[in-house]
Amino acid sequence: MKVYFRKNLLLWVTLAVLTLLFIFAARGMATRDWVITLLRGLSVGSVTFLVASGFSLIFGLLDVLNLAHGTLFMIGAYIGWTVFIRPDTFVDLIPLLALLSSGFLLSELWAELGKRLPSGRWTRLLPWMSLLLAVGLLVLVLPGYPVTGWNLKVFSQTPGTFAFMADQGLLVLPVAKAFEHPPALVLCGMLLASLLAAFGFSAFKRNTIQAAGWVNWRQIAAFVIVLGVGFTVFFANDALTKFLTGINTSWLFLIAVLTATLSGVALGALMESTLIRPLYSRPIYQLMLTLGLSAIGIEVIRAIWGRPEFTMPKPALFGGTGEGCPATSLGAWLQHQCSTFLLMGGRVRVYNEIFIPLVGIVVLVVVWILLKRSRLGMIIRAGVQNREMVEALGINVRKAFTQVFALGVGLAALGGVLAAPSMGLSNTMGESLMINALIALAIGGLTSYPGAALGSVLVGLIQQVIIKYGAIGIPIPFTEIVFKPTPPLVPASTVLLMVIILLILPNGLLGRKE
Amino acid sequence: MTENNTAYRKPQGFLRRNQGLWITLAVLILLPFVIGLFEGASPLQVWTNDSGISKFTQGLAIEIFILALYALSYDLIFGITGLLSFGHSMFFATGAYLTGILLKNFDLPVGITVLLVLAASAVNALLFGIVLPRVKGITFALVTLGLASVFHIVVMSGELKDYTGADVGLQGVVTPAFISPANERLRFYFIALTILILFYLLYKRFVSSPTGRVCIATRENEGRARMLGYNTFYFKLAALLLSSATAALAGTLHALYQPIVSPNVASLGFTVSALLIILIGGVGTLKGALIGAAVYRLLDFGLRRYVGESASFISGAIYIAIVLFVPYGIVGTWALKSPQIKQGWTRLVGMVKK
Repeated sequence: MKVYFRKNLLLWVTLAVLTLLFIFAARGMATRDWVITLLRGLSVGSVTFLVASGFSLIFGLLDVLNLAHGTLFMIGAYIGWTVFIRPDTFVDLIPLLALLSSGFLLSELWAELGKRLPSGRWTRLLPWMSLLLAVGLLVLVLPGYPVTGWNLKVFSQTPGTFAFMADQGLLVLPVAKAFEHPPALVLCGMLLASLLAAFGFSAFKRNTIQAAGWVNWRQIAAFVIVLGVGFTVFFANDALTKFLTGINTSWLFLIAVLTATLSGVALGALMESTLIRPLYSRPIYQLMLTLGLSAIGIEVIRAIWGRPEFTMPKPALFGGTGEGCPATSLGAWLQHQCSTFLLMGGRVRVYNEIFIPLVGIVVLVVVWILLKRSRLGMIIRAGVQNREMVEALGINVRKAFTQVFALGVGLAALGGVLAAPSMGLSNTMGESLMINALIALAIGGLTSYPGAALGSVLVGLIQQVIIKYGAIGIPIPFTEIVFKPTPPLVPASTVLLMVIILLILPNGLLGRKE
Repeated sequence: MTENNTAYRKPQGFLRRNQGLWITLAVLILLPFVIGLFEGASPLQVWTNDSGISKFTQGLAIEIFILALYALSYDLIFGITGLLSFGHSMFFATGAYLTGILLKNFDLPVGITVLLVLAASAVNALLFGIVLPRVKGITFALVTLGLASVFHIVVMSGELKDYTGADVGLQGVVTPAFISPANERLRFYFIALTILILFYLLYKRFVSSPTGRVCIATRENEGRARMLGYNTFYFKLAALLLSSATAALAGTLHALYQPIVSPNVASLGFTVSALLIILIGGVGTLKGALIGAAVYRLLDFGLRRYVGESASFISGAIYIAIVLFVPYGIVGTWALKSPQIKQGWTRLVGMVKK
C-alpha cells in the first residue's frame, strides 16, 4: 500500500488539489446552488463520457483517432429524433433498409459462387456488370418507393415544425403516400438489386476469400429473418404506425434510443470493415479519412434534416408540468411524472440532471463488466497491451476490431439520442462535444476506460462551476472587485486544465505508465 | 523517405538537379502574362495591373503561395521531424495578427514589423519547446492543441476587440502602397513567389544538411538517434524554430494580402487544412506541400464556385478517394508507381504507333 502511494504520489496530489479547488468553489455559493451545479456537471459529464468512452476504446485497441466520432454522435441524435417524432417515416424505412441489406448477409454464398466461375475475360467484367445492373435497378426502383417524410422547403412541413407541434401535443402525421407502381415489383427490384450488388462486391476479391462451402445455415437464417422482418413491416405498415403513435412516449423514446444505438453499431461495423481496415498500416491517413467522413456526414445531415436547429420533446415520463409539479418527493414524482423536482428548494430538471447521469453510470458499469468479464473484453484488454502477441495466439483480432469499433460508435450514437432532448439538435452539436471528449480523455488518460469517466466528469463539473460563477461572480480577496468569468473562459478553463495535467502527468490521470 | 534513397542517383549540378523547380518557376513567372492574353490584354497592360482576369488569377496564386508556405512549415515538423502538432495554426495566426496590429495600431514600417514577427515566432517555438521534453506522440498533439485553443480564445475574446477585432476579424490593415494588393498586385505576386521559392530551397538545404538528417532520424527512431549521441531535443527545437518563423512569415503575407484576418486562421480547422495539404501532397516530401496546397486551394475554389452549398460533401468524398487510391499522397505515390506508369505509357505509345 505504501509503495502504491509513493508510486502514484503525483496522481494523488493532483486529485487532492482538484478536490480542494471544488471545495473552495463550494464555499462561494449556497448549498442548494452547489448541489444543482454538481448535478448539471454530472449531466454534461455523462454525455461527454458516452462519446469519450467509445473514442477511447477505439483508440486504445485500434490506434485509430476517429475524428468522425462527433458526427456519429450527431447522427445518433438525428436518427433518434426521427423515430421519436415521425414513427411513420421510421416504419416506412424499415422494409427499405432490410431489403437493401439482405443480399450482403449471404457473403459466403457469393464467395463460393465467385470461386466456381470459370476465369476469363468475361468473369473479370462480371462484378462491374452486376454492380452496374444493381445501380440501374436502384435508380429505376427507388423513386417508386414512397417514404412519408418531411419537406425542407415548405415551412409547415419542416422538421422544426413537426418538433414544435409534437412538443405542444398537436402533432398530426401527414397522410402516407401511395405506391404508383405495383408494390411487389418495387420490392422484388430492391431485393434483386441488393443481391446483385452484394455479388458484385464479393466477386472483386474472389481469389482472396476462403469460403467454407455453399451453404452456411447461419447466414441463410439471418437472410430469411431480415427478409421476414422487412416484408412483415411492409404489410403491417399502417397498423404498426398506428401502434407506435398510440403508445406512451416513454416507450417510444426507448424504441428511439434502441434504434439509434443499433444504427450506430451497424454504421460503425460498416465503417470499420470497409474504410478503416485498409488503413491500419498508414495511421496518419486515418485522420484524413475520418475527417472526410465527418464532412460527408454533416452534409448528409444538412441535406436530409436541413440546417435550422430544432428541438426534441422529452418523453412523457419526464414531461409532466401540470398539477403537483414540481414534485417534492419520489412518490409524488412517480405519480405526476413531473419535468422538474424540488431539491432543497431549488428546481432540478429530472431528465437532464437525474436521468442522464443515471444512464451514464449504468453504461459505465455495463461496459466495465463487459471489459472485465467477457471474452471480448479480455481480447480488448490484451490487444491494448500488446496486439501482436494476441494475434500470435491465434485470436481473430480483426473480428474484435470490428466489434470494438461498432461498440464505440454505438456508444456515441446512444449519447447523441440521450442528449437530444436536453441540448436540441443542430448541425454543430458534434464538433463542440468532440473537443470536450478529447480534452476529457487527455485529462483521464487516453486509453484508460475509468480515466475517460473521471476526465469527462471533471470537464463537466469545471464547465458548470465556471458558468455558475459567471452568473454570481467571484469576489477577489482583499479587493472590492467581483470577477465574472466570461463565456470564452468556459472552454479555456478545461483546455488549461488539460495542459497543466498533461505537463504534470504526461499520460493523464489514470493513463498507463510507460 | 523516398528522397533519401534516390539522392545519390540524381543528376549533378544545381540547375539540373532542380529541373522541375525551374520549369515550374518559369511557368509561374509567365502565368500572369499568358492569362492576360486570354482577355486580350498585352503583357504591358498586365504589367500595369490593367487586366482583370490576370489580376484574379494572380490573387488565387498568391493565396496558394501563402498556403504552400504554411504547409511547407508544417511538413518540416510533422513530415520531416515527426512531431504531430495540432497547434500549428497558432504560428500562422501569430504572424497574421501581429502584422496587422503593428501596422494598424502602431504604424510601424514593414521591415521592423517583420523583425518583430520573427521574434514572436521564436517565442512561440520556445513555448512549444518547453512542453517538448515532457510529452510525446499524441499527447504532444493534444497539448499543442490546448495551447492553440487558448490562443484562439484570446484572439476571439471581447476584451481585446480594439486590437484583434474579436470574432469579426482584424480589419483595416494598412498595406504599404508599394505592395498594395489592390494596385500593385503583380509586384505582390512576385514577392510572394520569391519568398516561397527561397524558403523551398532553404528547406531542401535544411533537410539534406546534417541537422536535417538528424531530424529525419528522430522521426524514424528517436531512441536510436539518442543512442548515437544526438540530443534530439535541440534538433526538434531547431525544426520548430524554423517552422514557426516560416509559418509566421506566411501569416504576415496573409495579413498584408487579405482585407480581413479572420479568427479562423487560429482555429484547429486551419491546422487540419495544413495536415490535409501535406497528406494530399505526400508526407515528408517538401514538393508535396507545394503541390498539395495548389490542389487543396483549387479544389476548394472550384467546388465553392461550381457546386455551391454542398461543396464540403464532395471535398470529403474526394479526400476519402485520395486516401484509398492515392495511398501515399501525390508525390509519394508518384515516386512509388512511376516505373509502372512509365512502362504503361511506353506500352500505350507503342500501341498507338502500331
